[in-house]
This record gives sequence, structure tokens and C-alpha cells, in this order.
Amino acid sequence: MSKDQFKTRLQIAKDKLSKKNLRDNNQNSSSIGAAFKLSTELVSAVAVGTIIGFILDKTFGTKPWLIIIFFFVGVIAGIINVIKSAKNMQK
Amino acid sequence: MAANPMTQFEVYRIGPEIKIGAFDISFTNASLFMVVSSLAILIIFNLGSKKNSLLPNKLQLLAELSYTFITKMISDTAGSKAKPYFAFIFSLFMFVLFCNMFGMIPYSFTVTSHIIVTFILAAFIFIGVTIIGFIKHGFGYLRLFVPSGVPAVLLPLIVVIEIISYLSRPVSLSVRLFANMMAGHTMMKVFGGFVISLGIVGGWLPLSFSVALTGLEILVAFLQAYVFAILTCIYLNDALNLHH
Repeated sequence: MSKDQFKTRLQIAKDKLSKKNLRDNNQNSSSIGAAFKLSTELVSAVAVGTIIGFILDKTFGTKPWLIIIFFFVGVIAGIINVIKSAKNMQK
Repeated sequence: MAANPMTQFEVYRIGPEIKIGAFDISFTNASLFMVVSSLAILIIFNLGSKKNSLLPNKLQLLAELSYTFITKMISDTAGSKAKPYFAFIFSLFMFVLFCNMFGMIPYSFTVTSHIIVTFILAAFIFIGVTIIGFIKHGFGYLRLFVPSGVPAVLLPLIVVIEIISYLSRPVSLSVRLFANMMAGHTMMKVFGGFVISLGIVGGWLPLSFSVALTGLEILVAFLQAYVFAILTCIYLNDALNLHH
């Protein structure tokens, strides 16, 4: 085998290897990690929103209203969180 | 064997009771396992980086592999600006990983299955990242809460939503790790209890489940440490490269 032949074969092998590495990296850990990430993102925003509403209700004495409003704002924030991280994943 | 699957999460005192004012700072089993995992990290990485031979032994290989793994993760998610924070993210990842992995040893204690531990970790990250953001960008960091291209009518609502989603970061970070660890360990204990109560006749099915769950839990232990570290990188990225 001549030197040039060997070089091209080496190049092809290297390309294959790097492609395979790229695919493996994308599929394995990061995608499962991303799936775990999505699940809590939604819930935590709702919880934080409700807690903020509860605290504001206590300070202002407007008992049921702010907690209801902030609950729904928290739901919206959670959905936006999920959409954002889903968009990040697709990059 | 304890019938209650939650007894494995009990924190009890080891040694004498130490009190400072109203705070009980006695040495518990939780503190013991934190010390054990920190010592294990120190020993492994000291031995691994002692001899820089060209042909690495297993410890050196482990240390080098984890080094490149974390470096790649940081540069992929947070860019080159995040390099000074390598030490913090590396120790964070290793601490969570070792705590999770030590929890997989039978009769040991899983530190990360307590929400107070994970929440303190997440709160420190949250506060630190916020401080870094304010140092790097001044009050311009508040632009994070005002996305571009939003009509002025909707702006108050959007800002409130953005603030809530920002505040939800430490909660989601800590709850994710805590819930995964606690649910997994409880499930393993429940299936272990089934093996005992069904005896030699019917115990084989839950036993095989237990074996499969152990493998799954080891995967989850690694994955949760990875997710914890990568989310820290993402938050750091938001603070360092402000673009909206």
C-alpha cells in the first residue's frame, strides 16, 4: 500500500470515528438529562408563583386574590420555561 | 429488615451532642457520609494526579477522563468565559456524584435524598450566579427579565413571569435531584421488602426487579449529578453572556 493510499484510508476512518462520537454524545447522556430537566421545570414555577402569591396575600391582607392570580402566572411561567428549554434542546 | 421503606432516610446523631445557641450542630450520619465522599474525592484525585506518567494507570485515567469530561461540558454550554469557574463546577459535580454513588452501597446513607442538602447547594449556586451577573453587567443584568420584542402593554405581565421563572431555578434544581434520589431508594426498599414477604416461592419476580432497579439507580445517580452540573453551567452562561 502506498503512502497516499494509507493517508486517505486514515482520513476516512477518522471521519467515521468523529461522526460516531458526535452522534453518541448527542444521544446518550444529554438527551436523557434534558428529559429529566423538563419534568421539574413546570412544577417548580407553579410552586414558586403560588408561594409568592401567598406571601403577598399575607402582607397586603387581600386573602384569596393574589394567590389565585400568582398561581396562574406561575403556570404560565412554567409553560414558558418548558418551551424555552425545549427550544434550547433543538439548537 | 425494617418494614418501613422510609427509615433509610432517618438522620441520627453519631457521637456527642454539640449545641451552639439554639442550633444543633452534632455530627450525624449525613455529615459522616458527606465527609466520606469528600475524602474519597480527595484521595482519588490526589493519587490520580500524583504521577504524571505517559502511560496512565487506572486512577490517573479516571482523573484525566473526568477532567476532560467537565472541561468539555463547560465549554459546550457556557463558552470560554466560564473557564475560571471550572474548579467550582468540577467539585460540585464530583460531590453530588460521590454522594449519590455512596448511597448505592447497601446500608449506607444517601445525603442527596434530603431536600435541605440539595436546596442549600442550589441556593448557593443561585445566589452566586446572580452576584456574578450583577458584577459582570451591573444593573444591566436586569435586562434578563425584559425580553426584546415584547409589546409595551404586555411588559408588566412578562416581567413578573420572567421573575417567577428566574426564582424557580433553585427550586427545580434541588427538587429534581432530591426527588429522583428519594423515589429511587424508596422503590428499591419496597421491592426488597416484597422479596422478604413473598418468600422463596414468589420472591423471584421482585428480586429480578430489584436487580434491574439497582442498575437503573446507578444510571440515575450519574445522570442527576450530570444534570445538576450542566444546569449550573447553563445558569452561569446566562449570567456571563447576557443576550436576549
